[in-house]
Amino acid sequence: MKKRWLAALVTGCLAAGLAAYAATANGSSSGPTAKTGGTFRIGTSSRIDSLNPYVAFNQDAYSTFEYVYPFLIQYDKANRKFVADFATKWKASNGGKTWTFTVRKGAKWTDGKPLTAKDAAWTINTDIKYAAGGAANAAGLIAHIKNAKAPNATTLVVNYAKAPGNVLGQFQQFAILPQHIWSKHTGHKGNDLKRFSNNPLVGAGPFELSKFKKDDIALFQRNGSFYAEKPLVDGFGLRMFSNEDALVSALKAHEIDAIEDVPGTAIKTLKKSFNVRAVTGVSQTDFIINSNPKKKKHKELLNLKVKAAMAHAIDRKQIVRVVFLGYGKPAGSIIPPATGGWYNPGVRPESFNLALANKILDRLGFKKGSGGIRVANGHKMSYEVITPTDVPSTNRTFQILQPDFKKIGIQLKQRALDSTAAFDAITAPDGKYLNFDLSLWNWVALIDPDFMLSVVTCAQYEGWSDSGFCDKRYDAMYSQQQLTPNQAKRKALVWKMQRYLQAKRPYIWLATQDAVWAVSKSWGGLVASPQGPFNSISKLSLSRVHRQ
Amino acid sequence: MSVAVRQPGPVIEAEPIRSRRGIVWETIKRRPSAALGAGILLVVVVCAVLAPWIAPYDPHEQVGPVFGRPSWSHPLGLDDGGIDMLSLLMWGCRISLVVGFAATFVSMVIGGTIGLAAGYFGGRTDNVLMRITDYFLVIPDVPLMIVVAAIWGPSLFHIVIVIGILLWTSTARVIRAQVKSVRERVYVKRARALGAGHTRIVVRHVLPQVAPLLIANTVLTIAVAIFDETALAFLGLGDPSRISLGKVIENAFQRAAISTGAWWAIVPPGALVAVIILGCSLLGGAIEDALNPRLRVAHLSAKSFRLRPLVGRSPDAV
Amino acid sequence: MKGADYVIKRLAFAVLTVFIAVTINFALFRLAPGSAVTNLARVPHATPETRQALKRQFGLDKSKFEQYVLYLQQLAHGNLGISFANSQPVTDNLRTALINSVPMVFLGTIFAIVLGTLTGIVAAWRRGTKTEGASLTTALTFYSMPTHWLGLMLVILFAGTLPTGGMSDEFLIDPSFTTHVKDLGEHILLPSLTLGLVLFGEYTLIVRSAMLETLGEDYVLTARAKGLKPWAILRRHALRNALLPITTLVALSLGYIVAGAILIETVFSWPGIGRAVYDAVLQRDYPMLQGAFLVLTCSVVFFNLVADLLYFRLDPRITE
Repeated sequence: MKKRWLAALVTGCLAAGLAAYAATANGSSSGPTAKTGGTFRIGTSSRIDSLNPYVAFNQDAYSTFEYVYPFLIQYDKANRKFVADFATKWKASNGGKTWTFTVRKGAKWTDGKPLTAKDAAWTINTDIKYAAGGAANAAGLIAHIKNAKAPNATTLVVNYAKAPGNVLGQFQQFAILPQHIWSKHTGHKGNDLKRFSNNPLVGAGPFELSKFKKDDIALFQRNGSFYAEKPLVDGFGLRMFSNEDALVSALKAHEIDAIEDVPGTAIKTLKKSFNVRAVTGVSQTDFIINSNPKKKKHKELLNLKVKAAMAHAIDRKQIVRVVFLGYGKPAGSIIPPATGGWYNPGVRPESFNLALANKILDRLGFKKGSGGIRVANGHKMSYEVITPTDVPSTNRTFQILQPDFKKIGIQLKQRALDSTAAFDAITAPDGKYLNFDLSLWNWVALIDPDFMLSVVTCAQYEGWSDSGFCDKRYDAMYSQQQLTPNQAKRKALVWKMQRYLQAKRPYIWLATQDAVWAVSKSWGGLVASPQGPFNSISKLSLSRVHRQ
Repeated sequence: MSVAVRQPGPVIEAEPIRSRRGIVWETIKRRPSAALGAGILLVVVVCAVLAPWIAPYDPHEQVGPVFGRPSWSHPLGLDDGGIDMLSLLMWGCRISLVVGFAATFVSMVIGGTIGLAAGYFGGRTDNVLMRITDYFLVIPDVPLMIVVAAIWGPSLFHIVIVIGILLWTSTARVIRAQVKSVRERVYVKRARALGAGHTRIVVRHVLPQVAPLLIANTVLTIAVAIFDETALAFLGLGDPSRISLGKVIENAFQRAAISTGAWWAIVPPGALVAVIILGCSLLGGAIEDALNPRLRVAHLSAKSFRLRPLVGRSPDAV
Repeated sequence: MKGADYVIKRLAFAVLTVFIAVTINFALFRLAPGSAVTNLARVPHATPETRQALKRQFGLDKSKFEQYVLYLQQLAHGNLGISFANSQPVTDNLRTALINSVPMVFLGTIFAIVLGTLTGIVAAWRRGTKTEGASLTTALTFYSMPTHWLGLMLVILFAGTLPTGGMSDEFLIDPSFTTHVKDLGEHILLPSLTLGLVLFGEYTLIVRSAMLETLGEDYVLTARAKGLKPWAILRRHALRNALLPITTLVALSLGYIVAGAILIETVFSWPGIGRAVYDAVLQRDYPMLQGAFLVLTCSVVFFNLVADLLYFRLDPRITE
């Protein structure tokens, strides 16, 4: 998913939470020395844009839902496998078309009303009913579901039309809403779902939202009636800063205890007096080449050899050094290494070799013309690169690419647009992907490869596609992996697809960025994750946080 | 709103204008503040023009570590891309000045034309044009600049146009007032009686009289334009492919220069903007004063100070 | 009566300006590229029906003219529409933002008025002395600094001593009244100071020249010739007359400051109206932008009107 505004959307609606390798900060998560109480104060430069799951865009909004709403399942502390949340047991039957979840007994919403399997069934059925309207945000999560039933308070039965491959991945992201609150907001064909401010928020997670001021603060209090292990702290809070300088200054002044996403430049100074953790992340920057076979202008960019030459003209090490200050790695595949087994280590980043790139282009007969710029099919090889202004890393990245591309006779010109306008320019005209040539952006991958593999399918035109890539053979492999329940076989297929994509190059992958967070030394028990201590992966990440 | 309210105290238009050929040069020679302002601008312009030759490094090339400290080879240190700050400042001046001059040119053309037309033709034309000017005065221009720059996309050209079309009101009003008073003069009346055309009268008689004030106005508008560009860049709406001083500040700010301790990446560019604006204010203010005999007692007048976009108002809101 | 005529004229102009503003604001946003519809339509997996429904919900399926009439009708009822970004009434969003902005701006302006007026008067009165030189230089220096940069310099100077972001320490749980007030005071200090310092430069320069002009008037010269004491001249003649432009200026500036605090709000993470405008731009939240623009324009028009009327009261000659 695309950073920030798009990023969030996806985490919320498409696939499983991010995960990577994880380590427990400060050794044991909670020893006998663990103190209870206190408020853990987190700072961020991101935003909770809405408390309504049918409206929210930003990652932090989805992280909020993780801690205040019941989910059927979650990841474990190592972010490796699924463990119990509201559901304690689950099993598939009927050839994978029926899934039965056993949920906890005697659970309560924060307003004292009982929380049962009925709430879960109601949420699923409501999302299905209004998938094309008010509940569009959640449409991806309930794909292929026919209906959900709650035969009793502790049993949830979900019926699918086709046996899907990633049921748990989807439910890990599916917030269960209180029926007694939300059923009042389904008017206007479900469009009222979007109008509900959802403040004060009635939830059932380990924390309840006690105070919320947009763009300013979200304060969470321990929920005394939580159905599972209760957190050690009295609460935690998220303060939203409008710039990173203020964020880092606040940490230094001990106004906050932790930062979600430490700016690379500040890492060195913070290391002196804070615990700084860098975890291999799942956010990768990419160089997009319009691969729509129907594009009219600059058709030479569809030539795989031209794409290969470009790939060799990119100094990835320099990008990692300057843009990410060493907190990252050169990238080569659409699936980042942090996803573990799904990543194909054979798909390596291309060598930085300008001579080779020049040779490839020479062989194609694209001679250098005036100003050392090559001429292809009668026009100069001079292209516009669209960069989204709200992904700041793209500026410095472009500054590194431009002079190297000039050396291989290709002129790049930057066209910066805010992400809305940038995406419009990419899909123009009318979602046909005909006009743009190149772009720089980034994707935040999920642990299950399905989502990342889906963004280059033909079906994603006007959806998540930002490369115009559309290839029948690839699409066939994509649906095949979706319906392959045998995970070893699916892995082999996923590896093959990565190799296929590298050859076709809708993207040239640039760098994998580390997720870096800093925590005051007076706090321990944090669980590392690519999303930091406050995430939409697992409730467990903040359950053992404690003062030292 | 009403002209009188916007110009509290004595109103320029009521004053007869002395002969003013060479008044700009006279002012610089006579007033130390004007000389200082002119001196500052001269140095900055020279540096900017000669940047390709005198800048020690390429402003696009990484020559050291990210946020490298000041040293003998890099007296002002390095920025967040490992680029020499001194070279960046020289090149940054160039773009900032280009924006300043170009935007001012746009506003001069618009404001000058409207002011001339309103003052010269008077009557209904005057009325309509002044109502339009009044409307432009109450538009909150900083938010509007942000909207337009964001919608059009951040490019140097767009920034110049946006700033230009929001800054012309002061020029229009100043010019209109002057033209009105010039028009009533004996020699102009005589020229008209002799059958000289509008164009001829404007070019031969009106413009030369208005020119010095136009120069003062220009210098002050340049300051506002540079300031606006810095503000837009700071909000992420600057042209990312051009290094302006505003962009240099924004780059450092975006990458947490302050909390990293890299003060050298953020203090000098802002100080340089301040110095340029100071130079413009001193020079422009002094010329305006010299043209306004009522203010002979003062070095600087209220009217010479264009209120700045901090408060989002049009430059002649005072 | 001439006076009444004048007041009525001013009022009519204010009303007309607001109407024009409403119209232009509407046109500006609806005719802009990167339209609201394409943005709204970017709901993943949205079917054409969904898009249509969304358009209907926001009234985007009607003709531009119908939308305009609808907009005016809603406006008459004080309804500014629903924010695209968070589906809340724009009025609510704006109210919150304004409530946040006003105290900070107010404090900064008061600081600037008091200090600027005093310095300006002293500078004028002590014309030609070192005092004047010093105060002029100070004022000009602050006047010339980019606002956001001045804010950043204060951050460098005070980081660690004073909070540099946000409106209050929201993590204080049930603070005592004094702790709470102290905390609020600490947070508002730096943003207000930044605003205050920049305005201070401006006000000083303006007050000084207003004073100088007054001091050059015949009646002041006469008073001097009559041998009146300097303080008496200052108090009885000069000050009173200089007050006229000062009052007007302050009223005028108030209208613009709210809009202009955007840079300061960005530096200090202040969740006010300026930031609301900026965020709305980034999210292409047209109803929110339209509303914010309307509020900002109205505030400018309103304070202009106040300035006009004040001026009229203080100096009825204006009507001629």
